[in-house]
Amino acid sequence: MFRKLTLILLLLFLLALIGCGKPATRPILINGAGATFPYPLYSKWFDEYAKIRPEIRFNYQSIGSGAGIRQIIERTVDFGATDAPMTDEQLQRAKAEILHIPTVLGAVVVTYNIPELTKPLQLTPETLSAIFLGHLTRWNDSRLVKTNPGVALPDKEITIVRRSDGSGTTFVFTDYLSSISSEWQTKVGKGTAVNWPSGIGAKGNEGVAGQVKQIPYSIGYVELAYAIQSKLGYAAIQNKDGKFVLPTLESITEAAAATAATIPPDLRTSIINPPGEKAYPIAAYTYILVYKEQDDPMKGKAIAEFLWWAFHRGEKYAADLLYAPLPQNVVKLTEAKIKAISYQGKPLL
Amino acid sequence: MKQQLYLWRKIKDKGMSQLIGLSALMMVGILFLILGYIFIKGVSALNWDFFTQLPKPVGEAGGGMANAIVGSFILLGLACSFSLPLGILAGIYLSEFGRNQLGTTVRFAADLLTGLPSIVVGIFIYTLIVLPMKGFSAIAGGIALGIIMVPVITRTTEEMMKIIPLTIREAALALGIREWRTILSVVLPAALPGIITGIMLAIARAAGETAPLLFTALGNRFWHSGLDQPIAALPLQIFTYAISPYEDWHAQAWAGALVLIILVLGLSIATRFLTRGRYYFMR
Repeated sequence: MFRKLTLILLLLFLLALIGCGKPATRPILINGAGATFPYPLYSKWFDEYAKIRPEIRFNYQSIGSGAGIRQIIERTVDFGATDAPMTDEQLQRAKAEILHIPTVLGAVVVTYNIPELTKPLQLTPETLSAIFLGHLTRWNDSRLVKTNPGVALPDKEITIVRRSDGSGTTFVFTDYLSSISSEWQTKVGKGTAVNWPSGIGAKGNEGVAGQVKQIPYSIGYVELAYAIQSKLGYAAIQNKDGKFVLPTLESITEAAAATAATIPPDLRTSIINPPGEKAYPIAAYTYILVYKEQDDPMKGKAIAEFLWWAFHRGEKYAADLLYAPLPQNVVKLTEAKIKAISYQGKPLL
Repeated sequence: MKQQLYLWRKIKDKGMSQLIGLSALMMVGILFLILGYIFIKGVSALNWDFFTQLPKPVGEAGGGMANAIVGSFILLGLACSFSLPLGILAGIYLSEFGRNQLGTTVRFAADLLTGLPSIVVGIFIYTLIVLPMKGFSAIAGGIALGIIMVPVITRTTEEMMKIIPLTIREAALALGIREWRTILSVVLPAALPGIITGIMLAIARAAGETAPLLFTALGNRFWHSGLDQPIAALPLQIFTYAISPYEDWHAQAWAGALVLIILVLGLSIATRFLTRGRYYFMR
């Protein structure tokens, strides 16, 4: 009996030992963690980059924007990633300068499940905020009928689906609602998790998409890719110039281009509700967070080189995966940031 | 009248036994429903590549979870390497010397620990190991899983040793065998099949845990590169894929779930096989 137990234990130990056995040439492993939204694109980038630079491995784990910010502050990862830029208070806690490097743009879309509808719903900022505040409760409300001429809206109650967990998506969406509705701003406000006036909670983008798909006459908000992959309808939103704009890669990039001139030097900015006829109003940058002053010259150089590659070679993978590329003028600003990554005061690139 | 009462009792008896039988059947049914559903969903994405290849990014066909499967084994190995000795020794203490205040306290603590949400263990290890080490690591993940396993092992070891009849201990002692030798060579081997079942239960529970690994092992897209570095694990990989918007990743997540279940199932069947038909008086 003991012999067999020892055998089992020995086997388990052996397995653990295999774990200790380091490969002959240990690649540099660079760890990053954060936002869930860009995970598919980042994993594509790191995979492609590993093909041309096999000695460097980028390992990115999607643990959420908030966790990503926390990990980079604690220096448990080599780079962080977030959908919402860090707050001043968070930057202060980091003790050293953190650079915000925007990589791509994402959009939050208002998705719905109205089986009768054949063309996209058109929503004005007023109707959208009224729905989520609980003031507009039926699909055939006169305010909705007015902005959707010629569309037979059903006489059904609207079911609201919202996120139950903290999320960058919620931040962007509530940031938008706060900017267009003073009632939302005072009653609910913006944040990664807010006190919703009404609605069913669901975890994650996939949770909201799943609920909307299952509940007829429901409405929710998700990242664009989730709405498209789940084959859900999504609304055209009236932008600042009064045009109804559907979220497309072009209209999202347009939103960034429209605000590029006023972008602050640290690139921490909101591109909610920008001017411009073609701009989609609920878009945001997603960022990679790195320390300006790197501890390890090898790792720092690898990160800087990778980011440079991502902007010049990697961007072409973005569109296929439904991520909107940065407008040219923002790419220029970002390049300067990448060049600022340094070791002992000397730029690494 | 008497006949009627008899009939009524008979109906009650039949009805209740059928209800009980039905409940038992339903319980097994639920298990098979889950297994069957995961099997149907997972088997289509399961192929040889799944066991030999690294994950592929979205849009590329193929790819597997070889790194996560190996990673899970390494993490469980690490967890066992400290939770088995600790758990078994603590269990022996509780059963053989634990009839005092300390024993009661330890027993209570072990029960509390069993009920501790696993995410709390993850956060605890994060503050205790990840933050000072300035990085996520396989070691941190292994310790987190080990902490989840320890109370289960401790309590089953205690219970299994307690049910060994006192007469057997007395027989050993009567032959002039010392107490420590009695425990080690008489009681422990007799209790071993039960203890091993407990260990398997603990491993099965740890193997499926995601929460304590999120902030300790973190996950890794590539092969592990040392125990001081992040490591992939099956539940983590399943979680990441399941929350993605992509169909092919969902399929991979189902396949991962299937592999995880097969591994756990295989592990417990193997132990049953290894420990079967040993100690007849246990029957």
